[in-house]
Amino acid sequence: MPNLIIDDLPIEVPAGTKVIEAAEQLGIIIPRFCYHKALGSVGACRMCAVKFLQGPFKGVQMSCLIDAQDGMVVSTTDEEAVAFRKFIIELLMLNHPHDCPVCDEGGQCLLQDMTVAGGHSLRRYLGRKRTYRDQNLGVFIAHEMNRCIHCYRCSRFYQEFAGYRDLGPTQIANRVYFGRFEDGQLESPFSGNLVDLCPTGVYTDKPARFQGRRWDFERLPSLCIHCSLGCNTIANARYRAVVRVEARFNDAVNGFFICDRGRFGFPYTNQPERPRQARIDGNESSLEDAVAGAGRKLADIAHRAGPNAIACLGSRRSSLETQGLLNHLCQLMQWAEPDYFLDPLLKKKVKSAISQLDSRVAVSLRQVETADFILAVGVDPLGEAPMLALAMRQAQRKEATVAVIDPRPVPLPFSFEHLAVPTWEMNGCLKLLMEEAMRKEDEKSAARDRMAAEEGWLRNNPASAEIRRQIAQLAALFQASRNPVLICGTDIVPEATPAVVGAWARSLLEEKGKCGLFYVLPDANAFGAGLLGAANDHAFLETVGAIERGEVRALIAVESDPFERFPDRSRLEQALAKLELLLVLDYVPSPMVQQAHIFLPTSTLFETGSTFINQEGRIQIAQPVYHGGTPLSQMNGGGHPPRVYAGGLPGGEPKPAWQLLIDLAGALSLAIETGAVENPLSLVASAHPLLAGLKNTSSLLDGVRCLPDVADAEPVPADMDPAVGPGTENELQLLFVDSIFGAEELSQYADVIRQVEGEPCLYMHTQDAERLGLVEGDRVLLTLDAGAIEARVCPSQSMAPGTLVLPRRRKLEWQKAKSFSTRVTPDRIEKLK
Amino acid sequence: MNTKKEFKSPVGGAIVDPAKQSMMLAALYIAQEQNGYLTKEAVQQVAKRLGMTPGDVYSTASFYSLFRMKPVGRYVIQVCEGISCYLNDGAERVADYVSEKLGIKLGETTRDGMFTLETVQCLASCGTAPAMRVNDQLYENLSPAIIDDILERLMGEV
Ligand code: SF4
Ligand code: SF4
Ligand code: FES
Ligand code: FES
Repeated sequence: MPNLIIDDLPIEVPAGTKVIEAAEQLGIIIPRFCYHKALGSVGACRMCAVKFLQGPFKGVQMSCLIDAQDGMVVSTTDEEAVAFRKFIIELLMLNHPHDCPVCDEGGQCLLQDMTVAGGHSLRRYLGRKRTYRDQNLGVFIAHEMNRCIHCYRCSRFYQEFAGYRDLGPTQIANRVYFGRFEDGQLESPFSGNLVDLCPTGVYTDKPARFQGRRWDFERLPSLCIHCSLGCNTIANARYRAVVRVEARFNDAVNGFFICDRGRFGFPYTNQPERPRQARIDGNESSLEDAVAGAGRKLADIAHRAGPNAIACLGSRRSSLETQGLLNHLCQLMQWAEPDYFLDPLLKKKVKSAISQLDSRVAVSLRQVETADFILAVGVDPLGEAPMLALAMRQAQRKEATVAVIDPRPVPLPFSFEHLAVPTWEMNGCLKLLMEEAMRKEDEKSAARDRMAAEEGWLRNNPASAEIRRQIAQLAALFQASRNPVLICGTDIVPEATPAVVGAWARSLLEEKGKCGLFYVLPDANAFGAGLLGAANDHAFLETVGAIERGEVRALIAVESDPFERFPDRSRLEQALAKLELLLVLDYVPSPMVQQAHIFLPTSTLFETGSTFINQEGRIQIAQPVYHGGTPLSQMNGGGHPPRVYAGGLPGGEPKPAWQLLIDLAGALSLAIETGAVENPLSLVASAHPLLAGLKNTSSLLDGVRCLPDVADAEPVPADMDPAVGPGTENELQLLFVDSIFGAEELSQYADVIRQVEGEPCLYMHTQDAERLGLVEGDRVLLTLDAGAIEARVCPSQSMAPGTLVLPRRRKLEWQKAKSFSTRVTPDRIEKLK
Repeated sequence: MNTKKEFKSPVGGAIVDPAKQSMMLAALYIAQEQNGYLTKEAVQQVAKRLGMTPGDVYSTASFYSLFRMKPVGRYVIQVCEGISCYLNDGAERVADYVSEKLGIKLGETTRDGMFTLETVQCLASCGTAPAMRVNDQLYENLSPAIIDDILERLMGEV
């Protein structure tokens, strides 16, 4: 480990550490533009010059390019180095338009900071400046190339780090231009990071354009709740609206970056359609009256029909506080425990997944980057947990092998081995691969013969020879790996898969001493819902039955919109119409809110701050960023706010859902434990042994894991084979799946997200398309049980034959399917002229 | 193990095959011969044939001054401004002379679409400097008289 001295301070750093990093460890921040911890060094800007006084290098050198070595004596304040840096900043400013007043970067601009810090306050160059034509890069990013200082951060992130190639450097020398071949929406779903990365104002946040300087904003740590990864963010609010979201560094979760769904998906909190006023039977009322009215009605129903006539539907996007309070209320009232899942199967899978995790095997998103072999089963990272794709790419860049067992045409920004088998073959495929990988050398050929004879399903698969070859190759690599990570989805996989993957992870741990396990769960707080949710297999599907039978007469839906995912829309509508009381608490204008008898407005995470558990079991908190209320831009036609308020914040009625539940308990003359009102987490902490750590909230900002040392894992179900086996020759399995834009509940309220979601596609294997006489771009009418939907055909070579894949887009009315998973015969697909 | 797989994605991106990538310059050169410059369609076509994004191809094409992204005249005159030609009292004089004679500035094309004038770095003809190139033809030891000659001949060729 090299020892060196920087500015008279000695430090020892691991070999390979750059001098700029060593200085950082001492708290000395050497100026830089092109160097970035995640992107490494290129030496493009020359800003990080320091003077080497002793050791293997002498004189002014770039500290981002030189490895720290024994005996180095470095000065960052040496006159020559300072003069050099001052010269560089002047050079970089020669062509810079100096348009800070109209630049959104102003106030948070590295170039501004360095210009000021470098003492370059007078422009000596009076010549003409280079100018460029800007491009329209789509709805997320604004482009102002004149401001570029050619640090190459953008193209290094876009192409090398993230793996997309439609933006990059063009031209040469003094004309180097960063942009696209032609105007158009950036293809990368991680494009928003350019805003954070670019040290000047070339790329700025388009939806947030001209909405304020950094110092104008109320600005606090927050979380992304647009998928289960729980990336850390910073939310910026101004004039009672969230204006923009940036990535916040967390070494265990998202690193420096977030995805575009997380960055641009927040406007649900500002939208004019947001219901901000309590309502009783469609008429606006005060919150108190609505709560009291709900209490009276509930008491009445319970009195007449017993506590079982009241059902609760919680949400996987609710905070832990809200979930905990809802559970607590149900217990106190002796109502049935709330449902957090519509589909009993999904509930089983999530609970099983959570039970597999313990501190030996669970790995964080950042640890996925360090794997040397990744096997992902039943997961489409870009659709279900976008940042996972970026983490997997980092592993792959370091030569890790990545294999994905999934029937979908999984798009990933790197090369990987895709075992495209239908869902019912996934467990078998996984088993073959793992057994082969765990087998001793001498058993191998015998086993392979057996496998050929036994595995009937492979015989039916036209790609079986190819899959067998892939399995053999992957098994060898898997065997040689030292740090494998198993990733498992919970959406389309058969019931047993999470348990099967968990069991393999534990055997690998024993065998190799190291094996990571990583699940992707449905929604931001699915972990909380799984942990707090009932032990039984009850799900909302059964509640709907009970409503239809008249057993359940009142439903309390807390921040939950079953219309999003319930596969039979008309059935749900009819059932809800039968209710005596539909009490809805929410912050989005969902169809549930329209149908509610009594509606109570709740506040969003930006207003309340709250606690969530990500898919890894990491408890994290978001802080309250602003006080809520109707955005000023939506009042007075956006003019000056009234100078005198008549009391209360306009549109500030919404309260945290957990608070409203406490109020509701009050209306039902129940006393909630004292202390819960100040700190609802104290109630949650006693709800589950793994949550005991919640009592100490100070550690939560960076996140703490609530995992057991050794998992009490749910066993692999005896019948590993899923219910949906191969059907008749011609039938196709229809899968409803997530997609990065347009299928996630909260972000689809955002205009910009709607603009990029694209047209819904029906994916099918090229071979199936041929059989049906369809080609790319054809429009088809797909007849489902409750009617037909129209989609565009997208044939793909890299997906499982016999499978149809349809993203759950709101536009699509996929809820005509009537069930969670379904099979269709070819005659149901009709080509449109 | 070869894990190369074509990456097709509804949200874009591509994995580049190095073997195909190495054919890019030759492909661009051929494409340029069609129209004298690289049309947008030509860039897209090359990208498609090589399994790359148009951005990748444009990035490379725009790097080289010998690939043109804008229409040029029938004859492209490239006057050397390398060091030997410069020392031989050439560069500026030759360029100025041609410029005056054709009535166009550096980088411009004559109205009749016949000539485009530009300068280039060393044409590897230092021993016979000053030098210039017209399309693929090299002209050496230039003097005003020789230049007159060349231009007249080219004009007469039409
Ligand atoms: S656009 Fe920004 S990030 Fe890209 S090279 Fe220019 S200054 Fe650097
Ligand atoms: S990956 Fe998930 S948690 Fe992270 S920013 Fe994207 S949507 Fe949010
Ligand atoms: S930071 Fe070292 S050269 Fe740019
Ligand atoms: S400098 Fe002109 S040919 Fe070499």
